[in-house]
Amino acid sequence: METLMEAQVTVGDQLPELRVALTPTFVISSALATRDYTPVHHDVAIAQAQGSKDIFLNILTTMGLLERFVTDWAGPGALIHGMKVKLGVPAYAGDTLTLTGAVSAVEDARFTVDIVGSVSLGAHAQGSVRLSLPR
Amino acid sequence: MTDLETLAKQVVGAGESPRMRASEAVSGPLIRQWTQAMGDKNPKYQDLAPPAMIQVWSMPGADRTAFQRDRIPLDDLLDALTESGYTGVVATNCEHTYHRYLRPGEELTSTTRLTEMSGLKRTALGEGYFVTWAVTWYAEDEPVAEMEFRLLKFRPREDKPQPEKRKPYPLKPAVNQDTEFFWDGVRAGELRIQKCGDCGELRHPPGPICPACRSANRTHVVASGLGEVYSFVVHHNPPVPGRETPFVVAVVELPEGVRIVGNVVDCPPSEVGIGMPLRVIYRPMDDELTLPVWVPLEP
Amino acid sequence: MSGVPAAIAGIGATEFSKESGRSELRLAAESVFAALDDAGLAPSDVDGLVTYTQDANQEIAVAREVGIGDLTFFSRVHYGGGAACGTVMHAAMAVETGAASTVVCYRAFNERSGRRFGIPDARLGGDPSSQGLEMSWHVPYGLMTPAAWVAMFARRYMHVYGATSEDFGRVAVAMRRHAATNPAAWFHGRPITLDDHQASKWIVEPLHLLDCCQESDGAVALVVTSAERARDLRRSPAVIAAAAQGSGSGQMMMTSYYRDDMTGLPEMGVVGRRLWERSGLTPADIQTAILYDHFTPFVLTQLEELGFCGRGEAKDFIAGGGIELGGRLPVNPHGGQLGEAYIHGMNGIAEAVRQIRGTSVNQVADVANVLVTAGTGVPTSGLILTT
Ligand SMILES: [Zn+2]
Repeated sequence: METLMEAQVTVGDQLPELRVALTPTFVISSALATRDYTPVHHDVAIAQAQGSKDIFLNILTTMGLLERFVTDWAGPGALIHGMKVKLGVPAYAGDTLTLTGAVSAVEDARFTVDIVGSVSLGAHAQGSVRLSLPR
Repeated sequence: MTDLETLAKQVVGAGESPRMRASEAVSGPLIRQWTQAMGDKNPKYQDLAPPAMIQVWSMPGADRTAFQRDRIPLDDLLDALTESGYTGVVATNCEHTYHRYLRPGEELTSTTRLTEMSGLKRTALGEGYFVTWAVTWYAEDEPVAEMEFRLLKFRPREDKPQPEKRKPYPLKPAVNQDTEFFWDGVRAGELRIQKCGDCGELRHPPGPICPACRSANRTHVVASGLGEVYSFVVHHNPPVPGRETPFVVAVVELPEGVRIVGNVVDCPPSEVGIGMPLRVIYRPMDDELTLPVWVPLEP
Repeated sequence: MSGVPAAIAGIGATEFSKESGRSELRLAAESVFAALDDAGLAPSDVDGLVTYTQDANQEIAVAREVGIGDLTFFSRVHYGGGAACGTVMHAAMAVETGAASTVVCYRAFNERSGRRFGIPDARLGGDPSSQGLEMSWHVPYGLMTPAAWVAMFARRYMHVYGATSEDFGRVAVAMRRHAATNPAAWFHGRPITLDDHQASKWIVEPLHLLDCCQESDGAVALVVTSAERARDLRRSPAVIAAAAQGSGSGQMMMTSYYRDDMTGLPEMGVVGRRLWERSGLTPADIQTAILYDHFTPFVLTQLEELGFCGRGEAKDFIAGGGIELGGRLPVNPHGGQLGEAYIHGMNGIAEAVRQIRGTSVNQVADVANVLVTAGTGVPTSGLILTT
């Protein structure tokens, strides 16, 4: 895993797309790894009884995947300062989450990457991650 | 001001909750479990916690009775909303700010403060209130991370589509091994046209043997989904089971060179004409049957 | 036909109604008795029976009711009304080959008071037989009535040849005019105008109600025997100069929409070519024709397929009075199925026999040869009867 240097990045740079297959195993293991035991993230019958078509991704996992999307590109030297997410349609098991993003701003050596996470129903998450890179 | 709004104002006024102990200390095993689940291979997390894990340390875990924090004023507001019928909950926004990376062994505390409750809003899910709160995490007395979290507490609509079964559509096709590829295709959102595996001849309606070369090697192509009205009728009388009259049925000529019959929908019957360009869409008729039907190419 | 020619020696029918009040078997038996009486034959003379696969009365049941003894030939003809002339063809083949000497063809139903063909039946596409699978490309879209199946052809015909609803309407007006002077017709004394046609409700656009034939209860039977024997019987024979069945390439029951062209009736073309070839006659030799008229548009198509006019010219042939009594080719002097009754084409064959005998209430002058067709849009059949 290579680390990008500050000088290598400019506004407009596209990040490599990240596609995550939302298998039931992925949805359940990530929910439990974030210590979220709410049944709608691991029990299909309960999720359906509450009007969902299947189990779906929990928010803490969405946050984790956005962070991974950025550091997969920026490398281990990057420092993550924060992120901001607006949540959209549910990301159901069986779907694929596709993350796309681009560098939208740089100010005081801090970069902002704007990200959209899409599933078949539409935008699951839209947001941005703030980071800095080694000089 | 409603009782709920009054309560919200009191909770905002109460400011920060007392410091609450996080449920788990930052730890290597939980970090590894998290990075593996996320597929995150960042080597930095051999020694440091992923910043996005900040909320994880305060999650109650599987046994909610094993970790009980003290009630805080925000709990009173959320309970009051539920009791008032705003039983639905959906998170809408989450913002994290990280001051530094955490190391295994660090023990955290946090405080929570209601920042805002909106007025009653109409949303696609139903009427409800957006509730926004802020959490600050501390290592000892040092603030290490902050979060602003917003959710919608809503009153579920009465007419929300129930996951109950639809009324069965009475006009079912017979399907056998010669034709099931077509109906499988429709369910997958594909208009499949039979193609001879040997001579390549396209054929619709399909059959078990190629009339051009006698081959039983049947394959298919996925049609472009475009077509043109070759002929059409408008059915008025008598009533047809499962259908509202009038409705349009057309013989559609495909650019692939075959014809197929289907309904023209989302278009007044008086506007349908021979030569009209169409595109296919897929319409579920009940829990089992989906039909390919046609809409005007130009809306 | 070759060898010993066969002839229709007797015709019989029940009254035509909307509610017979009798079972279909009883209607069948009554019509068979009437046909035998007409021919001057007894039930014991009959050794063959033919009907439609769609008929609910088995040959053996009719034989029991009528008192017919041994049968050496029985047969059924498929494809709805397309069977009509086919029953006579099968009977004639049996007579000519010696399989039977006297064969009765019959069709009996309570099509108005019992099961009506025009009422959608959701089960049409449900059965994985070849016909069920064929229906399954149409029925799920609600394309499931004979009127709708025919309307699809009619729309294309209008588009290609510039025919209009009025052109179809003129067929209905002519048939009702013929029926108006036929006491046996349901619409006796009740002619219509083109305005009535245009004002009638939509069934399936482009077909109005008055483009669709009526629905009837009733039965018709025909006695077929050798022409030689028929000459010794009570009535002068209607000799079968030619009989043919026809199915075309890419044929379907009523939805042959996947052929290159949708403006013709290739299966009727097959029948026509065969009839001309076997009889040695030409359209100019035909004094009157019984053209199957369950829906008006196919009367135009038949005139073209059989060579009475060129492609796309039927509308002009009809507008010029060509199909009227006194016209170039009087069509359905009895009023057809639009005017007399819908007995699945069998009543038309009976009218052809009367025209040959010279006994029709709307008799065409100097009839030597009559052409008869069966159901259209389906695999079909035809006859040329001669004096
Ligand atoms: Zn082939």
